[in-house]
Amino acid sequence: MGAGSRETPRRGVAVELQGVRRSYNGFEVLRGVDLTVKAGELLAIVGQSGTGKSVLLRQIIGLERPDAGRIAVGGLELPRYLAMPPDEKPFRIAMVFQNAALLGSLTVAENVSLRLREQQRLPAAEIEEITRRVLDDVELEGTEDKLPSDLSGGMRKRVAIARALAIEPEVILYDEPTADLDPILTLQIAELIKRIRASRGSTQMIVTHNLPLARAIADEIAVLDRGRIVECSTPAELVQSSQPLTREFLRAAALGT
Amino acid sequence: MAVEAIGRVPRSPGPLGRLGARILDVLQVLGEAASLFMAAARATAFAPIDRQRVIVQLARVGTDTLPIGALLSVFVGMVLVVQAADQLRDVNESVLGPIVGLAMTKELGPVMMAFLLAGRTGSAMAAELGSMTVYDEINALRTMDIDPVRFLVMPRFVAATLSLPLLILYSDFIGVWGGALVVALDPAIKLTVNEYFARMLEWVHLSDIIIGLVKGVVFGMIASIVPCTFGLRTRGGTEGIATATTAAVVWSFILILVFDFMIVRGSFATA
Repeated sequence: MGAGSRETPRRGVAVELQGVRRSYNGFEVLRGVDLTVKAGELLAIVGQSGTGKSVLLRQIIGLERPDAGRIAVGGLELPRYLAMPPDEKPFRIAMVFQNAALLGSLTVAENVSLRLREQQRLPAAEIEEITRRVLDDVELEGTEDKLPSDLSGGMRKRVAIARALAIEPEVILYDEPTADLDPILTLQIAELIKRIRASRGSTQMIVTHNLPLARAIADEIAVLDRGRIVECSTPAELVQSSQPLTREFLRAAALGT
Repeated sequence: MAVEAIGRVPRSPGPLGRLGARILDVLQVLGEAASLFMAAARATAFAPIDRQRVIVQLARVGTDTLPIGALLSVFVGMVLVVQAADQLRDVNESVLGPIVGLAMTKELGPVMMAFLLAGRTGSAMAAELGSMTVYDEINALRTMDIDPVRFLVMPRFVAATLSLPLLILYSDFIGVWGGALVVALDPAIKLTVNEYFARMLEWVHLSDIIIGLVKGVVFGMIASIVPCTFGLRTRGGTEGIATATTAAVVWSFILILVFDFMIVRGSFATA
């Protein structure tokens, strides 16, 4: 079921995590996560609510610092990457938040072009062209002047993806991209993520508890259980897994829950 | 998000423990506010580049405060004259002008406008930034290498700090004219409007107006930094936003009064 990777342009860079730990108020959420995502790979991280999936993404994007362990992106230690001035970073990491996190006071076009406008490196006409192109990519042409409050949940998610694409990132992190969406919108987002993979080849990491979605789009699926990766395999291998949590997920998915 | 699913281990500290925790909370808020103030002050170097965002905030401050500020000032000026005239009727009504002039320029104008700014614009700032924090919009800015302090806090800080002194002058002007209105219309007051203003100008010096403006600058900083601090430290969804907004207003009022005392004390010490 995993998307083939042979003809994909290799734009992405590898992500490596070794022994990553993170605690909150004495409660250890991540308990030594080891994970490697190859350049251009689409990895899905599945797990129950509260197992640290979102926390893991926040460590990778640099919103939080792990208590222990190391994270490297594109062969560069994350703290070194984060300390670099934005213009000097050799690659870009983007994140699509669970609730889209669009700025409510800005229009769709302003949201999508925000980083480009703030960097002030490209002429306005070029920024406008990029904005139009990425909105076309997510099939939201004509919504440029709308406010996020005028859009449906699925459209807001797609604007958030367009915002991520506008900076041409080498790594894209998605936090529950289909949460709160109906099955048709879930399918649309899944197709979009597959298209991004095919056309851009960015490394993509998707946190979800939707196992059928993960099986449909991912090259590899990592199962996170109580702060540790307990299994990481291809969708085909996952079906044969004897790992108890994976079996539970498969059973729940078969029941359509 | 997973973090929200993690509950704190329930504990029941004693009274001393609760007091200690409260003191630590207060110190943490003050530390965060001081740190945000420094960051916002540094970011003012970008104010000319980001002038559009500053202008938007200036317009918002004006819309929020000008009409109600005028209403407050005119009534406070009127009430001052009515109350003072009643006390002074048998003594000396000619000091009505100085009383209103000095009270408005040195104390009532600055504190009243600062409270108005903190209550209306400040609460909106705390709620807006609180909502942006809770719904990951601030984090989204960070992931795009956009500094939230420069993007969100600095324009509010500059707008409040620039506009409050102007609002205070506006309040002083309307307040003294409110007093003049009562002097002109109340038949029980024998003082003429000309005498009211003449005596006021004898007593109110430029230094009194400057003290009011200095207060305006300081209070403007407080009325923007404190709400932004609470907005950025908001946790816990809608309820958290409401709590942060209330706390921002209460803390702003308290700090305005504390700094008011310090400025007054300092001005008398140097006089």
